[in-house]
Amino acid sequence: MESGVNVQMDANGLLKNISDADKVAPMQKWARDLYEYRQRNFLKDDPMYLACKPPGGPRQFEQTYGFQFVENPDFNRVLVLLGGGNRNRRVIYTDGREQVGQINGDADNPLYYGRAVAHWEGDTWVIDIKGFNEKFWFDNGGLPHTDQLHLIEKFTRTDMKTMKYEVTIDDPGAYTRKWTSSWTFEWIPNEETPFFLCQDNRP
Amino acid sequence: MNYVFAVAVLAFALSTSAFAQQGQAQQGQQGQQPQQGRGQGGGGGRGQRGPAAPAAPTPRRPDGKPWIGSAAGQKPGRWNGGPTTLPQGILEKVPFQPWARAVYDQRQIDQFEPHTRCKASGVSRQFSTPYGTEFVDMEKDLKRIYILDMGGPNSYRIIYMDGREHPKDFTPTNYGHSVGHWEGDTLVVETVGLNEKFWMDTRGTPHTDKLKFTERFTRTDMNTLQYQATIDDPGTYTAPWTTGVFTMRWAANVDPFEYICQDNNHGPELMLGSQTEIDNTKFFVP
Repeated sequence: MESGVNVQMDANGLLKNISDADKVAPMQKWARDLYEYRQRNFLKDDPMYLACKPPGGPRQFEQTYGFQFVENPDFNRVLVLLGGGNRNRRVIYTDGREQVGQINGDADNPLYYGRAVAHWEGDTWVIDIKGFNEKFWFDNGGLPHTDQLHLIEKFTRTDMKTMKYEVTIDDPGAYTRKWTSSWTFEWIPNEETPFFLCQDNRP
Repeated sequence: MNYVFAVAVLAFALSTSAFAQQGQAQQGQQGQQPQQGRGQGGGGGRGQRGPAAPAAPTPRRPDGKPWIGSAAGQKPGRWNGGPTTLPQGILEKVPFQPWARAVYDQRQIDQFEPHTRCKASGVSRQFSTPYGTEFVDMEKDLKRIYILDMGGPNSYRIIYMDGREHPKDFTPTNYGHSVGHWEGDTLVVETVGLNEKFWMDTRGTPHTDKLKFTERFTRTDMNTLQYQATIDDPGTYTAPWTTGVFTMRWAANVDPFEYICQDNNHGPELMLGSQTEIDNTKFFVP
């Protein structure tokens, strides 16, 4: 939900009062109605639960089993190893490249995890992501987005155990303005990401 | 709906059996080209075609060991063409227990592989997708090597290079627990803690959770990675056995890309996602 908004919801993103739907984020009418529909149906259409589709965008950081950043300076990139969803891995590039598709790779297909590039602003690591598809929910609670979604994520490690996370959502297809959400992560030392496969709960 | 599914399975079976025949014809030391006709929708990362140009020598790290993946500072690359069937060329010598041979034979017919349902598939199966695998050598900094799979689950395996032992109380997983060390120029990886939810190869060579799987990776030149596995599984075989040598080919200058099996699998009706809503009333047997 948007920073500064005080709305009660559970860990699955389900609102305690459906009448709070308007407050969660500055949604356009269609997006607000879709959000309310998803909420009223107790998130039963969630692609992640239905079919283990990846939790793209900030949702990958809302999962129970956490995530790892693996700095890989030899190749000017950071690997993100995800504990949620289907134990996916993805790449954030720090080599100054353009956010376009790869030749002989994923072309310019819109992606679940988008195309991410990063740079440092002081002690804050800033990630710019675009090139998303519309086949996932970018938030546990079912906030809608379109393929115009553009994220700016800011990670600031304020002490050994704490990382502040702030994400700015810019999607003129679904929202009336840019908006920001933020929370913090806690460092778990000496532990790999648990081996969890969403697909294990499927045939 | 069932008809559509049957057609999909038939097409899948035809494509794999055609490839298997090609694989049988190659035998022994031949490298295998990535499969065509499977894993639609990802594209890219194909291996070399036709005779390979004379290869540059094996790239080496500052400590003299081979780079098992891309050298630091180079563009990423990946290995294509892992083993399709571990008993290739030596099937009649594989010391199957009777039940295991029967399962193997049955799987040649039904080909009902967990990988096609997007299950993460460990050890040698990780190398047998059409899109190859990337080794990320972080031994210097993190004492580990990551293997990123491109096809399949879009996931990763960790090989610990810090001399640790396998944990005693490890819950078996699809990728198990892998530790590696160098024997000369060969990276030797031993994996235990594997569950029984995946096939070791695309042809269904069976295993149990007693499996200890040892892999030997030898980069003989810039473009060539030799791969050999030893299967020690007293639950399935009467003795440990070692495969022939398989050859993987280097694809230079390719970034890892996003392939999501759940968008591309060949058994959609077996996945909950083909239904219109979550249905907890049905009991599925994996």
